[in-house]
Amino acid sequence: MTASTATVPRRAILPRLGAGLVSYAGFIPAIVLLGLFFLVPLGIIVCYSFWETIDYSVVHHWTSDNYHYFFSVTAYVSTMWATLWVAVLSTALAIGLAFPFAYWLSRYVPKRLRTPLLVLVIVPFWSSYLLRVYSWLTILGEKGVLNRFLEWAGITSHPLSVFLYDRPAVILVLVYLYFPFGALTLYSSIERFDWNQLRAAMDLGASPLQAIFRILVPQIRPGIITAIIFVFIPILGEYLTPQIVGGTGGVMIGNLIVNFFQEAEYTRGAAVSLLVAAFIVVLLVVFRRSLSAKEAYGA
Amino acid sequence: MTTTVLVHPDTNSTRPPAGIELRRVVKRYGSQPALRALDLEIRDGEFFCLLGPSGCGKTTTLNLIGGFVAPTEGEIWIRSRRIDTLPPHKRPVNTVFQSYALFPHMSVRENVRFGLKMDRVSRSESTPRVEEALRLVGLEDFGDRMPAQLSGGQQQRVAVARALVKRPAVLLLDEPLGALDLKLRQRLQIELAQIHRDVGTTFVYVTHDQEEAMSMADRIAVMNDGRIEQLGTPEEIYRRPTSRFVADFIGDSNFFDATVASDVAELADGSRVPCAGGSGAATLMVRPESIRLAGSEGALAGRVVQTSFLGSYVRVAVETACAEAPVIVALHDATSVPSIGEPVELSWAAGDGIVLEPGT
Repeated sequence: MTASTATVPRRAILPRLGAGLVSYAGFIPAIVLLGLFFLVPLGIIVCYSFWETIDYSVVHHWTSDNYHYFFSVTAYVSTMWATLWVAVLSTALAIGLAFPFAYWLSRYVPKRLRTPLLVLVIVPFWSSYLLRVYSWLTILGEKGVLNRFLEWAGITSHPLSVFLYDRPAVILVLVYLYFPFGALTLYSSIERFDWNQLRAAMDLGASPLQAIFRILVPQIRPGIITAIIFVFIPILGEYLTPQIVGGTGGVMIGNLIVNFFQEAEYTRGAAVSLLVAAFIVVLLVVFRRSLSAKEAYGA
Repeated sequence: MTTTVLVHPDTNSTRPPAGIELRRVVKRYGSQPALRALDLEIRDGEFFCLLGPSGCGKTTTLNLIGGFVAPTEGEIWIRSRRIDTLPPHKRPVNTVFQSYALFPHMSVRENVRFGLKMDRVSRSESTPRVEEALRLVGLEDFGDRMPAQLSGGQQQRVAVARALVKRPAVLLLDEPLGALDLKLRQRLQIELAQIHRDVGTTFVYVTHDQEEAMSMADRIAVMNDGRIEQLGTPEEIYRRPTSRFVADFIGDSNFFDATVASDVAELADGSRVPCAGGSGAATLMVRPESIRLAGSEGALAGRVVQTSFLGSYVRVAVETACAEAPVIVALHDATSVPSIGEPVELSWAAGDGIVLEPGT
């Protein structure tokens, strides 16, 4: 982009700049909205994170204590690491399930059946998020469907409480919640793939798995990365799912932030929020790099 | 109808093993037969064409050899080794796909190297082989390009190099020139025939274009409705077609309903014209270039309805009383072109009157 504008003669730019400003007018509502409801609050949080809370009120006294405090409490740091691995594992599982689904849908399912199946994937979005998480209580809980089935089948004699209120339950529900994002994103990029290439790869001596990982996967890299972004980043900020099905064992960093704010520790909460936000920004930059580097071959 | 009667190598031990052998191969999709008991022997090193209209079973035959389709019945052998039970990647066969199916995320060189990589050929061995394959197709300077940066003809050559670099016993080509324009197609036909002579690999080439088949193949199998109608060299198939389908599919031809006895055919209007062999009710076929416009023994009377100058020859359409469609005559001597409406006499040598599907 910059290279092409650099070659334009200087005289041509100036009148174009005026016309350019007019054509940007359409952005004004969005800029106002983003400015008022995103940039200004973000600035406030940045300020808060470097201020102090004394006796439940925020004092405008600059310090980095909030950050030091977070890293000094072992429980917080371990929750941060736990959040990371729960997010990584849930993302891996969700994408791991979504990929075969998208592959099967775009390769073997006749075109007329694809739309109904995709609609089925989206159907859960028609009900509220809270409802979808709560419904897992009725499956995994002590009087839930799973326990009743186990008792009916004679596998257990009394209800088990192991299914709920720990990390496995959190991961299971997160995978359930975010699978559709992965499936839809992957499907839209696999759908355009020329399947003859897999035949050609196998013809040249690749096993079916080699053909998929050396021919299909590199070509749908942008789709895979987008799917990971769509799944991993929201999971990182999840707090309702761990709150509802995670109990004390399934706490994630989102719950910490909520706790800080509920206890009026605004400045500490702001610092942790920014840590998460900064981590996500770094992640996006890394992903963007790997995307644009691979886009070079496209024509 | 099916004229192929083949001798299996095991019944005649003095012959070398066939390059490819299909034994009573049947392929059904549901109850729909795509191939009906196909017997076919392709010699080692030959340029073999499967020719026929769409839906005749030629691509199915190719896919059976390549392993992308499993036969319902029958066996497939390559160089005395049964292969129909092997998956595609374990067969000594490589394919040039109609759409080329090049890998867009790899350079030309990486595309060609892919098959060797899958075989775990060391880099020191694969590098010269890749370069040799690129040289063979005239793309030695294009190794670093991406497929999207190549023309259709160049992409096609990459597909050929990619398949040949593995030194397969058999190279399958599925209408590889179908997407190219006529001029380029004719040039690549010559190149493919040259490549075939250079490498000596058995080529099995599928096409619906009779000219393409005639210009390259050592032998052609003309297929129709899941069967081989006729198998032979291009010349045999052109000069001695054994069925009306083959005569119609290969080149231009004139057909007459006739009653044949002792090398004379009596046509619908009672004209008696020369022919070779056969007896009883039959179809008589005469190629346009075999017909002379001069009264002589066994002549057929007619009237010129159209003359067209087609460069290397003049096409004359002659209306006769014995065929519904005008008889087409190809005159290579442009000095004696009759005018429209002129009565003419058609004649041909007895050997050029080919009797098809005799009523015996």
